[in-house]
Amino acid sequence: MATNTFSRVVASPDEDAAALLKAFQGWGTDEQAVIAILAHRDATQRKQILLKYEQMYSESLTQRLQSELSGDFERAMYHWMLDPVERQAVMANAATKCIQEEYPVIIEIACANSSAELIEVKKAYHVLYKSSLEEDVAARTTGNLRIACLLQLLLALVSTYRYDGDDVNMGLANSEAKIAHEAVSNGTTDQGELIRIVGTRSKAQLNATFSCFKDEHSTSITKALPHGTDPTGYLRALRVSVRCLADANKYFAKVLRNAMRDSGTDEDSLTRVVVMHAEKDMKGIRSAFQRRSTVSLEEAIAKETSGDYRSFLIALLGS
Amino acid sequence: MPQQVLAQASSHSSPPATPQPPPPRLRQATRKQQEKDTQHREREPPPPPPPMAAVDENEDLIRAFAGMGGLGVDEAALVSAMGRWRMQPERRAQFRRSFHGFFSVSGGAAAGIERCEDEYLRHLEVEFARLKDAAVLWAMHPWERDARWAHHALHHHGGAPAGVALVEVACTRAADDLLGARRAYQALHHRSLEEDVAYLLKDPNAALLVGLVTAYRYEGERVSEELAAEEAKALAAAVVKASPAAKLVQNEQVVRILATRSKPQLRATFKIYKDLHGKPLEDDFVGEPCLQEAVRCLYSPPKYFAEVIGRAFMDDADRQAKAALTRVVVSRADVDMEEIKDAYAKQHGAKLVDAVASNTHGHYKDALLAMIGK
Repeated sequence: MATNTFSRVVASPDEDAAALLKAFQGWGTDEQAVIAILAHRDATQRKQILLKYEQMYSESLTQRLQSELSGDFERAMYHWMLDPVERQAVMANAATKCIQEEYPVIIEIACANSSAELIEVKKAYHVLYKSSLEEDVAARTTGNLRIACLLQLLLALVSTYRYDGDDVNMGLANSEAKIAHEAVSNGTTDQGELIRIVGTRSKAQLNATFSCFKDEHSTSITKALPHGTDPTGYLRALRVSVRCLADANKYFAKVLRNAMRDSGTDEDSLTRVVVMHAEKDMKGIRSAFQRRSTVSLEEAIAKETSGDYRSFLIALLGS
Repeated sequence: MPQQVLAQASSHSSPPATPQPPPPRLRQATRKQQEKDTQHREREPPPPPPPMAAVDENEDLIRAFAGMGGLGVDEAALVSAMGRWRMQPERRAQFRRSFHGFFSVSGGAAAGIERCEDEYLRHLEVEFARLKDAAVLWAMHPWERDARWAHHALHHHGGAPAGVALVEVACTRAADDLLGARRAYQALHHRSLEEDVAYLLKDPNAALLVGLVTAYRYEGERVSEELAAEEAKALAAAVVKASPAAKLVQNEQVVRILATRSKPQLRATFKIYKDLHGKPLEDDFVGEPCLQEAVRCLYSPPKYFAEVIGRAFMDDADRQAKAALTRVVVSRADVDMEEIKDAYAKQHGAKLVDAVASNTHGHYKDALLAMIGK
């Protein structure tokens, strides 16, 4: 469920555009006014405001925001103003450009979305970038044999159109749990079968397989993966995919927790999770966060961030 | 799949070499069988020789039943005989006695009948079913058709490797149609196509097939010549590296390029490859049928389909090759049949319509011609 709230009586796009212009005028920007409007508009309303603003003032609202705002706040607002499907395509594309660091973004988009949602993201990607997400992910293989395993996993995750029903075959779950265990014990060699399973089975079937694994080996599959050096990122990618496929809310709550650790805040991850999920399933993520934390999500964000960036995130979370 | 499931008898019948109606060359009676037959007939008083007109009628009917060429039966002639020989069981008996391949006098002698040969029966069922199958396939939604063909290919190889049929569906359909087929597959089988392909195919082609089947290609016309040149070079390097132990179809670069790039981009790459090496890419993929077929399908579906149709009409065409005729005509009638006709004319120097008219029979022929159009 979304968390950001919309005013009962919403101003018209004309009024919003005029109010925004007023916020930009004069010395400095009235960021609070900008947040008060834009954080409380849904995707359709935001699109209308973008159109109206351009019509009325002959300039792009997006560009004006980019010049008026700065830092993490500006980046968050830029992504917030995008259409939700395009937003994911934009984030995926940015991630393909430095895939060795940003692959978790791609895995999140591939695994947390439903099959139908992922197709919409891919369609938007075609329009925006005149290429497919698969080819951009796959093209990174060129000359980079070291990360071949990682890329094989990424490509499988991004290409699949999973069956989204509840049918589960327990015999198959058992046999594939065995295969998974063998692959896990192999370290990073011979991962073909595990990639096949994680990359093609439905989420219901995978959850059954993960349960069988846990019953058989008294530890979850992610904990069974070897810890320590992971030079290619394959093991981490595998962990991310398994977690995301099994329980997306729990996974994103963990990303948020990790982003706000004492040793400095990871604003990129924080922004990504909040902005991508505020109008979708933030309530579930917030509950998952609170289950494992002494403070509420808002309190944690208030503590670890500051200024307009903080105000914006809190506004998106709905309090 | 109806037609393939029913087609048990492998018929190696070929179109007649001369205009004379030859006996159906289904299963040559063994020497022993022939001796037994003649011996048996010598013991009985020979039946009165049939009048000349009846002999011609018999021969016509034999031809109608023969499913000659294995591409249909002459339903109209059969219906006509049914009318003419009404209330004349002796005429039918005469016919049975003269139709040696289908009815065996010795085989049924103990019961006083001319017994049907089982193998021929099965063959005939296939021929009658050919029209029915074409009609059913024609009526079905294209996505469901493709899903059923893919499922059949995975579960009933029947001699031909599963990969080859999957490549056709994966590479010649538009991106949204392939996606539609995958959705239909899920509706029919409660699993995704890719999980079945990955799980059931344990041969070296699996990675390529999963890649092709899961492709959701960019469909725009944008092509980067620079990228095409780069990838043509990469393909050439892969060809050089290939060996029996490290097959091309398992080369990650090759699979990646074929499975993810847009079709216009791939065509540009193939063209550059041909210019650089003086021969088309599929010539360097000899020994890897799946790869060759993928390249042909991606490069030019009409050309590929014209070749498939051509093979169905050849003298040594087997059951699979003939079944492909229905599949191609039904699936492409609404898509690129005009281009296929052009390609066929170029390849075989004859019009497709004429080739179909002379090689197929009965209502099956009419159905094909109706779908192909003038």
